[in-house]
Amino acid sequence: MKKRTKHLMAAVCAGALLLAGCGKHDETLKIFCWSEYIPQEVIDRFTEETGIPVAVENFASNEEMLAKLLAGGGDYDLIQPSEYAVQALMRENLLHRLDDKRIPNLKNIAPEFRSMPFDPGNRFSIPWLAGFVGIVYNAETVTRPIVGFADVFSPEHAGRIIVVDDPREIVTWALTTAGIPINDVSDENLATITPLLQDWLAKVKIYDSDSPKTALATGDADLGVVWSGEAALLFDENPKFQWVMPAEGVHMFVDNLAIPKTARHKDKAEEFMNFILRPDISKMISDEFPYYNPNAEARRLLSEEQLNNPASYPPGFDVTTAELFGDIGEQASKVDELITTIKLQ
Amino acid sequence: MTGAAALSPARRWWLPSGPAVQRAFFGGWTLLVFAFLYIPILLLVVYSFNDSRMNLHWAGFTTKWYGLLFENTSLLRAFHNSLIVAGASTVLAVLIGTSAAWLLHRYRFPAQRTIGLLIFIPLVIPEVLMGVSLLVLFVALGIPLGYTTLIIAHTTFCFPFVLIAVQARLQGLDPSIEEAALDLGATPLQAFRLVIIPYLMPAIIAGALMSFTLSFDEYIVTLFTSSAASQTLPLKVYGMVRVGLNPQLNALSTLFITATILLVITAQFFLRKKNS
Amino acid sequence: MAVPAAATPPATGPLLPRRAGLGAWFFLTPMLGWLLLFVIVPAVMLVVVSFSERDSLGRIVYSFTFENYLRAFDWTWLRILGISIWYAFLTTAICLVLGYPVAYFIGRSNDRLRTLLLLLVMIPFWTSFLIRTYAWISILSSQGLLNAALLGLGLTTAPIGFMYTPFAVVLGLVYNFLPFMILPIYTSVEKLDNSLIEAAYDLGARPTRVFLQVVLPLTRPGIVAGVLLVFVPAIAMFAITTLMGGGTNPTIGEVIHNQFTRARNQPFGAALGVLLMVVFIFSLWIGTRQRRGYDE
Repeated sequence: MKKRTKHLMAAVCAGALLLAGCGKHDETLKIFCWSEYIPQEVIDRFTEETGIPVAVENFASNEEMLAKLLAGGGDYDLIQPSEYAVQALMRENLLHRLDDKRIPNLKNIAPEFRSMPFDPGNRFSIPWLAGFVGIVYNAETVTRPIVGFADVFSPEHAGRIIVVDDPREIVTWALTTAGIPINDVSDENLATITPLLQDWLAKVKIYDSDSPKTALATGDADLGVVWSGEAALLFDENPKFQWVMPAEGVHMFVDNLAIPKTARHKDKAEEFMNFILRPDISKMISDEFPYYNPNAEARRLLSEEQLNNPASYPPGFDVTTAELFGDIGEQASKVDELITTIKLQ
Repeated sequence: MTGAAALSPARRWWLPSGPAVQRAFFGGWTLLVFAFLYIPILLLVVYSFNDSRMNLHWAGFTTKWYGLLFENTSLLRAFHNSLIVAGASTVLAVLIGTSAAWLLHRYRFPAQRTIGLLIFIPLVIPEVLMGVSLLVLFVALGIPLGYTTLIIAHTTFCFPFVLIAVQARLQGLDPSIEEAALDLGATPLQAFRLVIIPYLMPAIIAGALMSFTLSFDEYIVTLFTSSAASQTLPLKVYGMVRVGLNPQLNALSTLFITATILLVITAQFFLRKKNS
Repeated sequence: MAVPAAATPPATGPLLPRRAGLGAWFFLTPMLGWLLLFVIVPAVMLVVVSFSERDSLGRIVYSFTFENYLRAFDWTWLRILGISIWYAFLTTAICLVLGYPVAYFIGRSNDRLRTLLLLLVMIPFWTSFLIRTYAWISILSSQGLLNAALLGLGLTTAPIGFMYTPFAVVLGLVYNFLPFMILPIYTSVEKLDNSLIEAAYDLGARPTRVFLQVVLPLTRPGIVAGVLLVFVPAIAMFAITTLMGGGTNPTIGEVIHNQFTRARNQPFGAALGVLLMVVFIFSLWIGTRQRRGYDE
């Protein structure tokens, strides 16, 4: 090997290690969020207007986020937990208290979202988007009238159903059907709903939390229980996809932004929070993710079409009465095991 | 002497009793397998020009996905990160693998067999195990996740490939070459550098290529050992793909393949020039 | 693929592998140290974690308990491990059948063709495996290419559900692991001594017999290497199995990943991981015994 090539190699190596060493751009705002849940436009706009560079890392579930956060992996400035994760983090004192004076746009949030049970007064978190898990079906191939879970999991739909791959969610639907409070996830209650779950899951063809709309769009599934945003996207593509809020009961989820105690740039994080609470920016978020926007000022900027999407803004649904998830701690493991066991049968 | 031994290597295929059939069979089989390997790739390329987001039907020719690709800063940054990590890992893997292969070949160490087994472990270990155990280690040692941990992780499963490739090549090394160099007054280190390494080049390059490829496409181990700033391409792609197919990814893949093919053709061209 | 264990010294001469002196040990230490620190130590830590507990938020609490292993030996998890091993076995078998002839053909081709074919085998690797897997989804889905072709040719009247089935899972796995089978076998084929084959022909053996009784045994090291490189990683593969299988058939890799994420139970995940390690070490041990058997 020529001497020069060897020196080049050594230089590359050294350079790479150096880069590795100063991989910390200390000015960068580090965000830990769901995959593709913050529009790139929003991030770019933020950097443009404030000059603060942003680095984004994704997780696929709240537990993954918690696991990484608690393992000390990464000093994130902003995280995007769901309501029960906020509750858990608050209880363990792992979130920074928000400085209201730095987030004047808090006033844009609709009043019902300013007094959520898990964080009344938005002391530690601000709502990002809210949503529901409900039923979507292809009106062209599904003939039976669909009103609730019982209709979805009826024998004629066996092998044509898609559900989100979220054990907690699946268990919740069964609990609701059995009339049990959704946060009462005890071993006895799990045992009670096991036969129902066995009956249901035997008919499921696909489990997909990431993009359930794909299988519905390609016709590999005819109906399913999915996130409202996914259904809204399907509805936009083709009105043959109908949305139904299950008669047995629906719970709401709220995704939020919060600042972990290990954050290095609390002030920049608060600036970002204030930024996305602006009506025009919030509208950008809604444009991309047709979930329920908790920002009252932003909702005024949405189009008729957007507000009339039954999956985004279910008519007649009273947000203040919606049930929310609480943290179930160690039972998460039991829930996961139950669903895994049933899947095998 | 029968015709066989008198034939040149190229013609030994065409022995009378049926290898023609054999060759046709094997050749045909190879063709089918390659078709299997390449149909999805061709599809990817075609779809990168399809004017449809969900790519279920052909809706018209467009190059807009390529345009969007070059504006997608986070994707480009992830690509950049992947290059850095794969590059650094490959360099380290080559250094460690080549030197270790040579040492193991040239000197007799106690517990040689155990060492050999140890080397084989990162090669074959299920990625999830490696990812998980490294995460546990890094957290316990307090090493923050990022470029460093990624490069360490990737180098760990890459260097055995280089080592084994070089070892294979060493099996065919004629010891008298090194002897001659030493007789001519070279130190062992010089002999290694000026005689052995050129001989080993093909194996080193093969190992390096394999190493780079594996590191670049590694998803599972990376999932456990990276962080926001060092997010690599597979992670970013998985995130994008999760929410539905994005033709920008098809465009990226097509560009990749094209770049690789061009690189290979150029390399071949230069090699041939050098030889003639 | 070469045997990484004891190096066989070539003809006699003063440069036989000498006993390792201090200098040699000094240069070997980086690699050994690396292996020790980043392979052995993590494995040990995993075992340690598998005996601990966790709190409600999922953080590890270092105590000593057998609870995770007691749980791991439950039928559910063993069954998942069994299914994963079965899928890996199928994948390996199919890769072997598909890949051997290709490796043989490439190995026996002339130089130029050989380089070209090898590159062709490697090129799909340069696209992300996720995107390649997704390409298969668009081929196999109800409105995908395969069904369109079958319907167009009149071979079927309604779309067949290829996706989200064990068939799709194995196909995805085979597609991903095929090059890992082809390359090691190719290195073995390339080293074949032509004179042995010609001798067999000269002795009057028919091609099939030559292949089965001369070529196959001679390429055994490559086959064993290929099998190891496919079988073991395939057991714990999860991204592909989830995408192609629709989540109805969880594999052990997925389950372990789940423990570290949504189930908030890292110690249990570690216990499952240790079980997997045992399977993996066992396969490795059998594999190296096979190859040692060949050497002696």
